[in-house]
Amino acid sequence: MQQPHPRFSVLSGSSLSSAEHLSPTASSTRFSLPSATSINTALGTPKPGLRPNIYDRNLNKTRTSEVSASAFAFLFSEVVQYTQKRVSGINDLERRLNTLGYRAGTRVLELMVWRAESSSKAPKREIRFLPALMSIHTQVWRAVFGRPADAIEKSVENEDEYMIIDNDPPIERHISVPKDMNQLSCSSFTAGVVEAVLDGLGLPARVTAHHTPTQQFPSRTTILIKLDKSVLEREEILK
Amino acid sequence: MSHHLFLLSPSDTPIYSLTHYSTKLPQSTSSSLSSNLPTWSTSAFAGTLTALSGASSATQSHHVQGGSVRMGGGQDRHVIQMIANASLDVIEDVMRKESAMYLKSVDKFNEWTVSAFITPGNMKFILLHETKNDDGIRSFFHDVWELYVKTMLNPFHTAHSPIRSIVFDTRVRASAKKYL
Repeated sequence: MQQPHPRFSVLSGSSLSSAEHLSPTASSTRFSLPSATSINTALGTPKPGLRPNIYDRNLNKTRTSEVSASAFAFLFSEVVQYTQKRVSGINDLERRLNTLGYRAGTRVLELMVWRAESSSKAPKREIRFLPALMSIHTQVWRAVFGRPADAIEKSVENEDEYMIIDNDPPIERHISVPKDMNQLSCSSFTAGVVEAVLDGLGLPARVTAHHTPTQQFPSRTTILIKLDKSVLEREEILK
Repeated sequence: MSHHLFLLSPSDTPIYSLTHYSTKLPQSTSSSLSSNLPTWSTSAFAGTLTALSGASSATQSHHVQGGSVRMGGGQDRHVIQMIANASLDVIEDVMRKESAMYLKSVDKFNEWTVSAFITPGNMKFILLHETKNDDGIRSFFHDVWELYVKTMLNPFHTAHSPIRSIVFDTRVRASAKKYL
């Protein structure tokens, strides 16, 4: 997070001032983040001012590494705006958000399972679909949003479709979608995370997000999982 | 005695490989093991492999303690890669049925035993080794897994990009030295 400027040259397609704005070292002076220095001292860096290498850090430090919801809401709003400027329609926008979520999801999966399994002598992966779906509903949601999702449903019409339902998705809490874009669900990002987790576990699926409001929960969202045919065939064999 | 490690991405692209020459053999810590298998690395099988590869494996360009034949680092490198690749079929069969991440001794080819480790994200670590050392290999894979997760957290790293980090390399070598 606190790399010196040269690293940010990747982003400096725009002007220098915006690169400075992006740099956390510059912004830490601007917004005076008190946590920035305390992180450095807590981890005991060999040289002051030099960031500890990721390989020196403990992956299990979760308590102090929570991200403030407002900081995330700000970041996510920028992500949506940035993406919206570069797409031609709602479908395209959802697809891009899904891709971004996918990149986050691959990391969520590895890190989450590492935290859960690394202390065990014989670490395990999920290979069946239903346990994997359960662990997405509880573990992944807890790792990403701090609480489990609200429900899992199986489609009545199509046997390859499953749904995870969140009554109040935290990433959409500060988003109000304009009327002319009411098809859009910014939870496509979450759908991407779910898709990455399933893909990583060897259960390929197409995952999409749909806004399904009810009287009680106006921002209720359904994450629809459409499984690949190969997954169903394998589940049949493993039964 | 040598070990060969390959890290393969979900699409089976090699993203990191390491050849480690164990110096543990002459040490007292593994003397019981080495006395059980006294001339393992210079056995008749090694000759078979040499014949298979069509090259002399006894190229002593690198001095190795204990006088063991240096394998896999020179001209017979492609044989090692072939064995690792061939083991993928077996690994993919086993990983669909078994939920364990550490698959010990899934495949054998001449004197080489293949052990593998599958991360939840379908990353495969493949290790070719000549002697039985389950606990050491388990600990080694565990270290590599942790290092890999840390590499993975880099936003500029994708599942298919080769790992070129010097720190990663150093840490993996240190762990290999410790456990293998």
